[in-house]
Order: sequence, then structure tokens, then C-alpha cells
Amino acid sequence: MIIGIGFSNPLLVGLIGLGFLIFLVVIGVRVVFAAAMVGLFGLIELLGWGPAAGIVGTIPHSKSSTYALSVLPMFIFIGFIAFHAGMTEQLFNAARKWVGWVPGGLAVATVFATAGFAAVSGASTATAAVFSRVAIPEMLKNGYDKKLAAGVVAAGGTLATLIPPSAILIIYAIIVEESVGQLLLAGFLPGAVSALVYAAIIIVWAKRHPKAAPSVSGFSWTERFQSLPGISPIVIVVLIIMSAIYNGWATPTEAGALGALVIFVLALARGTTLGTMKGALMEAAKLTVMIFSLIWGVLIFVRFLGFSGLPEAFTAWILSLDASPMMIMICILLAYAVLGMFMDAIGMLLLTLPVVYPAVIALGFDSIWFGIIVVKMAEVCLITPPIGLNCFVVNAVRPDIDLTTVFRGIALFFIADVITIGLLLAFPEIVTWLPSLMK
Amino acid sequence: MALFSNNSTEQGPVAVADRSLSPFEDLLNLIAALAILLLMLLGSAQIFLRSALNAPIAGYIDLVELSMASMAFLGAAYCQRLGGHIRMEMLVSKLRGRWLWGFETITTLIALFIIGVLIWYGWGHFVRSYELGDSTIDAEFPVWPSKLLVPIAFSFWFLRLLVQLAGAVRLLINPDQQPIGIAKILDVSEQAQEEIHEAFGDDATSDADREDAK
Repeated sequence: MIIGIGFSNPLLVGLIGLGFLIFLVVIGVRVVFAAAMVGLFGLIELLGWGPAAGIVGTIPHSKSSTYALSVLPMFIFIGFIAFHAGMTEQLFNAARKWVGWVPGGLAVATVFATAGFAAVSGASTATAAVFSRVAIPEMLKNGYDKKLAAGVVAAGGTLATLIPPSAILIIYAIIVEESVGQLLLAGFLPGAVSALVYAAIIIVWAKRHPKAAPSVSGFSWTERFQSLPGISPIVIVVLIIMSAIYNGWATPTEAGALGALVIFVLALARGTTLGTMKGALMEAAKLTVMIFSLIWGVLIFVRFLGFSGLPEAFTAWILSLDASPMMIMICILLAYAVLGMFMDAIGMLLLTLPVVYPAVIALGFDSIWFGIIVVKMAEVCLITPPIGLNCFVVNAVRPDIDLTTVFRGIALFFIADVITIGLLLAFPEIVTWLPSLMK
Repeated sequence: MALFSNNSTEQGPVAVADRSLSPFEDLLNLIAALAILLLMLLGSAQIFLRSALNAPIAGYIDLVELSMASMAFLGAAYCQRLGGHIRMEMLVSKLRGRWLWGFETITTLIALFIIGVLIWYGWGHFVRSYELGDSTIDAEFPVWPSKLLVPIAFSFWFLRLLVQLAGAVRLLINPDQQPIGIAKILDVSEQAQEEIHEAFGDDATSDADREDAK
């Protein structure tokens, strides 16, 4: 007991806690500290020092030491190896030869290459950074419009979070206690749909502006097939992970481990140095500890919220609203769109899901479907002003393309994303079909 | 290190503390990195042994769960030094001078408090487990070594936060000094630069360099 209302009005304590958490995060306290701190004081208020400290002291270890979370470091490691081993150039090269002939061919090739890279990486900004360097020079050389070249790279980067392996989907699964495998599988089709919608909108635009996005042709079938071995590590890793999860012959962790081993050996065989590998490992370890800290920090807060009864109260309030579930869903998504402009996607999901998720489920929405759609929303925010990080990344790699140009280039892909989200709302089967087949 | 404003010739107490902690943090993160490598080998071996030889590793899940603590905690101080833990920088990146260092002091104090509490109770959690001789359900491995990693890793995290607190207070007193021992606060375009460094390593800064190199 601190202010002494814990026993009589837990709900109020929950609300104060939530408000205080938002305050701390806004003034720049790192999310893990803010969440753990508010969780600790909230629990003290509700339960007293002894029980509160007992709960808080055990959460970091007990919540981190779970088998389900062990998949994270594996997928993170795969992503870092893929960067450092220069597989992006080979992907772009292959995509260019196979789809360069369509209108806007190089931009379409960029979309498919980023989608392919997304299949080994879950990091959106890094994907945008790498492709700014690989694809933009090629497009500009062929007379492509700067806006389009910059926009397609920034937008293509966002595909990384839906197409497995995606760290953010795993985190969603852990927080809402869903199957990691099902969520990973569920991201595949929506990721592919996003890529296809991007490609379609580029082709439509290129048909109207043929000079600003010429096709590149003249590759023979031999050349095309010769480009395939270069992308084989990525194809192998994707096959291992998808088939393991789908057929159940290995757990996600084991599949991730085998995928990492394969890409590790292939990268070494192709001349990646041990020093580079050590760098990739150190970065993987750093990102892993960051994500784990966030998870246990937020789980301390979640435990407090559970005792306060706030999530149930919020759910009851949502259910009492006189509006259709779809209307409420659209409002929730719009709220995420606003929030995503100011917050990192992972932090945003972790902080809001404990309250929002139970309400969404009570409204009758599918939990896997909601995970995919909310992650897609968070990604759209990576390319919209004011802090569309991917756009800044493109501008930073190519200082000759100014920020305004990048943001103008994004407009086309923003429309594409709205179409994709509309498709996911109208046809939830795009998300739920693949996981429903899982054995 | 781009993120870490450290002048290696600087002689003040903050700079010395900063430099003496760094190797330990690097080492702990390296151990976490090796644990990732081992997990990769273990997971692959498990698939092979189970499907090819029908002889899965006994206590495999227990082993993985116990090893998670090394990956989840050991790199915490290293990550803190490099400014890797997520925060919202919209407000602080706009601040300059004393205002900035005042905010940094407050936010670091909050971090010190909560990590201090967690070291204390994390230690208690370990001691209970050690005295009771806790073991995992399946293979009956002792649990205490894994629990001990929490107070160890968090103690280094606490020390790193102390250095950052000292760095912030030093600049709060005199904002004109050379910044030492603090994680840089980045606005979104600087953050983008960091992402690029992470993606390409230190060799690459812009495309112009690369075209020169060709």
C-alpha cells in the first residue's frame, strides 16, 4: 500500500498505473524500466510489499526461461548472417533477370528481392538500408524516377515483418499465448499479398509513366537459371523453416537452429570471414537481450494490470458500445496508426496488447488474424511521416535523394498498403487459411 | 563505436570507470553470443539424432530453457552502453544542454532503482533455489546456476547505469564539457545512420565511398 486505495479500488490503481507508464515512456525512460517500475509499484499498492516483490523478483528469470522464446535468438541470428554475407545482391540480380521485362521491371524486381530477403530477416529498417544500396543505383542508371526508386525500397523493407521469420510476430504470440508456429505461418500469405499488391501498383503506374519506369529485357533463360544458385541459401532456409512448422517435423526453435546452421556454413563456404561472423553474433546477442528485456519488463506490468482488473473492465466497456465489431476494429486500427507514428512497433504492441487484445477477442475476432493485421499497421507507420524510419534510412544511404522525395515516393505504396489492409479485413481467410492446415 | 561518445585519452573518473567496465560487458555479451551458437548446434543435433538415429538428446528442452538465461540477460549492460534498449526519443532528442542532462539524470535514476530491486530479489530467487536444490522436471538439472545469471548480469547493468548517471550529472553541472560515459540521444535521422552502420558495419558510410572503391 502506498496511496492506500489498492484494496478498495483496484481499477483506479490500474488506470493511474497506465497513465503513469505512458508518462514515463514519453519523457524518455527506456520501456523496460518504465514498465517494470510501474508494475512493481502497482503490485505493491494492490498486494503490499512482500507479495509484490516476490512476484516481481521471479518474473525476469521465469518468463525468459521458456522453450517457446528460444526461437527468437535463432531467427535473429539468421537475419544478421544473411546481411553480412551479401546475399541481397544475388537476390536482386536474380529478381531483375526473372521479372525485369514487366513495366517498371526493376522496381518490381526490388519488391520481390526485398520479399525474398524478408524470408531470412525480420528487420525492416535494415532491409531498406541494404536495398537502398543494391537496387537504387541500378534503377537510377536505367532512368527510373527518383521518387519511385526511393519509395519502393522504403516500402519493400516493411515486408520483413510479415514474411516469416518475423521477430515481432513471435513476440505477439508470446504475449497473447498463441502458437508461435501458427503465427509465423499466418504471416506468409499476407506478406506475399502485400508484395503482389506493391508489384501490381508499380505495373499500373509504370504503364502510365513508361519513361519513368522502363522495363529491362534481353536476359536469356540460361542467364536466368544461372542466377538461381546465388539465392539457394535463402531458398533452403525458407524451405526448412516453412516445412518444419507446417509438417511439424521440428519445433520452430529446431527449424531455426538448422536454418541458422545451413546459412552459417554456406556463408563461411562463400568466403564470409570469422571476424564478420563474430560481429553478426554479437549483434544478434545484443538484439536478443533487448527483446528479452522488453518482454519481462512488460510482463511485470501485465501482471499488475491483471490484478487491477483493467483489461476486463476495458473489454466490458467495448462490448457495451453500440457499434458493430467491424466499426470498433477500424477505430482500434486507426488508433494504432496514430500511435505507430510516435512509437517503435515492438514497444507499441507490448504496451497496448494487454488491454486491447482481450477486448478484440471478446468482439469475436480471430487472435491470429488480429496479430497479423496489427503488425501490418505498425509497419505502415514505418513509412509514414513524421518518423517513418525507413524513409530516413533511404535518405541516409542516398543523401542525393532528399527526404521530401522519399516521402512523396511512398505515397504510391501507402495506397497499396491501404488496399492490402482492406483485403485482409474483407477476406480474413488470407490470414487464417494456411495456419488452419497445419498438422 | 559510433554510439558511444568515449574519448579514450580522457582521464576523469567517469572516463576511467567507463573504460574499465567495457571489457567485462563485451565478454558477457560474447558469452551470450556463444550461447546462441551452441543453441544452433544443439537444435540441429536434436533434429538429426531424433530423426536419423531415433535417439533424441535426453533433457533437451530443459537444457534449452536453462540456457535461455544466458542469452536473455548477459548482454544487458553491453546493450545499455550502446543505447540498444528501446526508448521513445521524440522528447529527449529535442532537448539541449541542462534540460537534456536533467531528464537523463531522472530517467537513469529510475532505471537504477528498478534494476537495484531486481538484483536484490533476483538474488533471493537464486538463494532459495540453491538451498532447496531445485531441479528441472524432466532431466533434473539443477536450476540455480541459471538463476544466478540474473543478479550477475543485472549488477553489471547497474554499474553501467551508474556510469551513465555520473556522466549525466557531470554534464548537468557543466553542459560545456566533453560528453563522457553517456549513450548518445539520437533523433530519427541519426537513428537511421545507426541502422545503416548496423547493416553494413563500420566500413561503409555512404555510397560515394563504395563507388570510389570500385
